[in-house]
Amino acid sequence: MPDSRRIEPVADLRPAPIQILVNGHKTFCYPGETVATALLGAGARGFRRSVTGTLRIPVCNMGVCYECMVKINGLEAQRSCMTLVSPGMCVEVTDEA
Amino acid sequence: MKLETLNYDLVVVGAGPAGLTAALLASDAGLHVAVIDEQAAPGGQIFRQPPSTFNAPPSSAFASYPFGQKLLAQARNNIRIKWYFSTCAWGVFHPEKGGVQLAIVEGEHSHLLDCSKLLIATGAYDLPVAFPGWTLPGVMTAGGIQTLLKSQFLCSAQRYVLAGSHPLLLLLAGQLVDAGAQIEEVAIARPRPKVCELLAGWRALPGHWRMFGQLAGILFKLWRKGVPLRFSTIVTRVQGKEGVERVTLSNVDTNWDILPGTERHHLADGLAIGYGLLASTELARQAGCSVNWNPERGGWVVDHDDTMRTSLEHIYVAGEPCGVAGAEMAHCQGRLAGISIVAALRPDSTLSAISARRALGRAKPFADTVATFFAPRLDALTKLADSETLICRCEDVTAGQVCDFLKKHPHVSSVNSVKLACRSGMGPCQGRYCQHTVAHLVSAERNIAVNQTGAYTAQAPVKPIPLASLALVQQD
Ligand SMILES: Cc1cc2nc3c(=O)[nH]c(=O)nc-3n(C[C@H](O)[C@H](O)[C@H](O)COP(=O)(O)OP(=O)(O)OC[C@H]3O[C@@H](n4cnc5c(N)ncnc54)[C@H](O)[C@@H]3O)c2cc1C
Ligand code: FES
Repeated sequence: MPDSRRIEPVADLRPAPIQILVNGHKTFCYPGETVATALLGAGARGFRRSVTGTLRIPVCNMGVCYECMVKINGLEAQRSCMTLVSPGMCVEVTDEA
Repeated sequence: MKLETLNYDLVVVGAGPAGLTAALLASDAGLHVAVIDEQAAPGGQIFRQPPSTFNAPPSSAFASYPFGQKLLAQARNNIRIKWYFSTCAWGVFHPEKGGVQLAIVEGEHSHLLDCSKLLIATGAYDLPVAFPGWTLPGVMTAGGIQTLLKSQFLCSAQRYVLAGSHPLLLLLAGQLVDAGAQIEEVAIARPRPKVCELLAGWRALPGHWRMFGQLAGILFKLWRKGVPLRFSTIVTRVQGKEGVERVTLSNVDTNWDILPGTERHHLADGLAIGYGLLASTELARQAGCSVNWNPERGGWVVDHDDTMRTSLEHIYVAGEPCGVAGAEMAHCQGRLAGISIVAALRPDSTLSAISARRALGRAKPFADTVATFFAPRLDALTKLADSETLICRCEDVTAGQVCDFLKKHPHVSSVNSVKLACRSGMGPCQGRYCQHTVAHLVSAERNIAVNQTGAYTAQAPVKPIPLASLALVQQD
């Protein structure tokens, strides 16, 4: 699993954090982030498992590859790279950490 | 769920430089315009901005393409245009009453938009390359790593190898160095440019010094950091347990064929793949627009006349779907398309296409030079896949499965037959990631030209949508 991290090229870049639930666990992220960013920033190991069971995480970050699909607020197969986080959002991934 | 039908003079799909330019021009000329984009804000790929909730400076792409800043400011201030962001266009229909109908979906809500003219400005996406290990977490497209970095301020890994041949790879290298990431090597597949090539390129430079300066700055930055930049080098394999751990590179000849015995390895947790771009033509193909095969310009590209009209009377195209050529060409084509559409709908319009055509003519030599200089060798890239390599990552179909099928069925010579039998292209990405690989496998096995293998049939919905939305539109 690659070691993703948020960077801060300018001071006070991000607004105050919010919380979402990832597989029921409280996870911090920032308004304006996509669900993909929030999950990568939190160190999620796998977003989904492929039909033969291998781990997958985002590849294109532009809505084309569908490798970043997760369950969001009960809806299956949502592209996390195209969905912005909102407070209290419930996200489910196959392999959290 | 709701379904309403709305009427527009012009509907534009894609809010990148091509779509925005056309939409703003048409709106200023008095047309009733709607713009659809899957992203949450205008800009397309190149001018993708940090979230408005972040206290960040605007993207650096404005430095290379100064027209972008004005374009985005005008778009944000234009309230006459109906903006549909976070909305996907998934089908084009041709109603009997005339005009064009576009089906869009936002979350779970579908709408049908009726319009007199449709402009398809859907851009391009990074060329997927199937090689052993490419499905491991940590292998990302160069564009994916770059957009995470510049619009989300997330560095996707710590230690990278960058492999490709597109100039975007160098741009990314500079941005990763600035972000404090470590780059083990930048591996460029094409040979080191010869003096004669550089001289030929020089002629295309006037008007593009700014970009040349930017490139020189990046090369200097890499040199100072001691990042090795090697030509005639390709990625051949990635290994790791649950993600990228070891990247193997090899030397290649001028055809990008691997020179045996030249393998070397890097330890890394991130691999950027940037061999080029493929044009996003699914919507245009589903609509019925004719296309032609142009491997230097992004695979299947949409045919158009000198007014940017496609083979269909009411459908126009601009930007990367008619051939990958960069932001400046996209901007110029958008302008020409906008003028042509206004002229078609308002015969009394005084807008002239002359200066737009001239601008396009000025931008073309540079775009042509970049295209030939960095053209991806799709044939050689396909050879990187071994029989175990997944070529369709949605349905987990291997190259071996496709080749076995082709051997057992000697009459099959089209990508569509392979799709039906092997399921490659049946998953959610709908073949965007495997079509060109399958096409090259068929072409090699049958010894026919790639364009003779055809394109996957593009059907509505061109992207997966909630079933209920589809049912509703079909009832209509
Ligand atoms: C990830 C990525 C990063 C890039 N970064 C750079 C860079 O830094 N510098 C550079 O010079 N060039 C860059 N490029 C090249 C860039 O694509 C072009 O230079 C330029 O953006 C082309 O403009 P366009 O208007 O044709 O398309 P784009 O800017 O790609 O715009 C197309 C838009 O259409 C939307 N769209 C597509 N299909 C649909 C649909 N069915 N429904 C709704 N919306 C849809 C997309 O969301 C997108 O916003 C990048 C390309 C990619 C893919
Ligand atoms: S990362 Fe490719 S669709 Fe989200």
